[in-house]
Amino acid sequence: MTLAVWRTEWLMALRRRRLFLFNILIPLTFVATIALSSAPAVHAAAVFTVLFALFGTFGSSIPLVRDGESGLLRRYVLTGVHPGVLLLQRVSATAAIDLIELAPTVLVIAVVRGSSASQLVIVVLAMVIGLLAANSLGALSAAFAKSVAEAALFSAAAALLVLHWAGTFRTPVSGTWQAILEMLNPFRPLHESLLAAAGAGAPDVAPALFVVPIGTTLLVLLLLTVAGRYTMGLGGR
Amino acid sequence: MFSATELSFTYPSGRRGLGRVTLRGDPGDRVVLMGPNGSGKSTLLRLVSTELPSLPGSLTLFDGVHGRSLREVRRRIGIVQDTPVHVDDLTGMENGLLFAEFYGLPRGESAKALEALFTSLDLDDALHVPTREYSYGMKKKLLVAQALVHEPEMLILDEPALGLDPPSREVLLRILKERSQKGVCSLLATNEPALAQALATAVVLLHEGEVVAHGSSSELLAKVGGATRIEVHVTGSPVVGPGQKYKTSTSATDGLPATTSDLEGLPADILSIQQLPGRLIAESSSGADVIPQLASAILGAGMNIQRIEIREPDLRDVFALLTGQALGTQDR
Repeated sequence: MTLAVWRTEWLMALRRRRLFLFNILIPLTFVATIALSSAPAVHAAAVFTVLFALFGTFGSSIPLVRDGESGLLRRYVLTGVHPGVLLLQRVSATAAIDLIELAPTVLVIAVVRGSSASQLVIVVLAMVIGLLAANSLGALSAAFAKSVAEAALFSAAAALLVLHWAGTFRTPVSGTWQAILEMLNPFRPLHESLLAAAGAGAPDVAPALFVVPIGTTLLVLLLLTVAGRYTMGLGGR
Repeated sequence: MFSATELSFTYPSGRRGLGRVTLRGDPGDRVVLMGPNGSGKSTLLRLVSTELPSLPGSLTLFDGVHGRSLREVRRRIGIVQDTPVHVDDLTGMENGLLFAEFYGLPRGESAKALEALFTSLDLDDALHVPTREYSYGMKKKLLVAQALVHEPEMLILDEPALGLDPPSREVLLRILKERSQKGVCSLLATNEPALAQALATAVVLLHEGEVVAHGSSSELLAKVGGATRIEVHVTGSPVVGPGQKYKTSTSATDGLPATTSDLEGLPADILSIQQLPGRLIAESSSGADVIPQLASAILGAGMNIQRIEIREPDLRDVFALLTGQALGTQDR
């Protein structure tokens, strides 16, 4: 199949110029308003993390359900294409497109809050992991959704829950089971890096911050690939 | 090419989609499925295309020599589904290339094949137009091009001519016959008798998920004889129930149901009159000459006539004879 689905996702994103522009301007406006305000870094970072995570989950789950409803995914699979590879290409392409669309927003945070270049690099790296995870979570949510509304609901609920386990909404307590979940959580680096970029000081850049969540993300992607046909509601066919 | 034995399918709601259908198609065959909505045509196509699991019953594709890979089997089939689905933001050519790539064709080769298909389907002007701007018929043509681009060994087509203009239908017929000569087996669902008669090497009539007749068009047409059909579309209360025949001057001796208030004043040239929902179908041995007396008898029975059609017998009549129900035609 080469990279047919990956290329198609990019082509569609570039063709839908209006949507592409809105996807840049809406988070930009929202984030700029908060970044320019006197919101404490801890609150601002939480909002930014939630926004970025939801951006990824919604952007993955809703189109998947829509294409499932229209019969397009089923039609793809009946050509003999591997459902898991199809899904993997789709999730990775939408995560990459999300990163491009959110890049100006991240730049605004860095400029307004006076982040250093190294802090910015860490945010970008964390966003790659976070958006891949968010898009995967969206794809998994889509597997259980029977309508676009359900997809939005499930992906929002799932993202907020995983964000909570990432320590986005609370002070982490070491030595608890939640701390283990935090360590594994792909949204944790995103939150930690955005916290630093928003003005809370240098992030914890210990390798464990990234290595374990990268492993978790890769595991989720592998799961998506292996169980792709189930994820797309094809019931093993 | 394909062999289905006692193939059945029940939808999750409990509705039976198909019941114990046995059917086969060999290389070069053009098997046409006909039946009213809900008769199981699309279910059978979805089963043979591997979209639905073929249990209970068994399905063998390509004589079982494909190994165990479902994906490999799917690559050898071209599918035209009833409802066109495309990536609306992509052009016709881009949509075609996407599917060609799924089938594993090199881009350059598939572009040439698609251009040739688009030209033959008279779609070459829309090659670089987003499919969101396509009409229904254009989308249907694009589906045909996508299904043919990889030179499949088997074609599964659900109402492929629906929405096509007459010249495009002719092209589709020609393409399917050409592919058939190359050994491609086609399994096709349609409710258009003319298309079925022009194309089929075998016709399968389905009713409520079961095969009610199977044979060549001529074999099936022989069941209804060669009398002219006069189809009278009526409103008002019919005299006999759906599927029943009226008593005529000749039918009284055939043991047909005789009612107390059959049509009166019918000429002897009318061999039978069958009641279907909203219409009466009369068999005439003397062509259209009987129409004035027929119309008079119908009006005399308290029904109103909307229109009258005169035609030669076709597969609709075979279906009506066997099931007492109308096959119907679909136009879009």
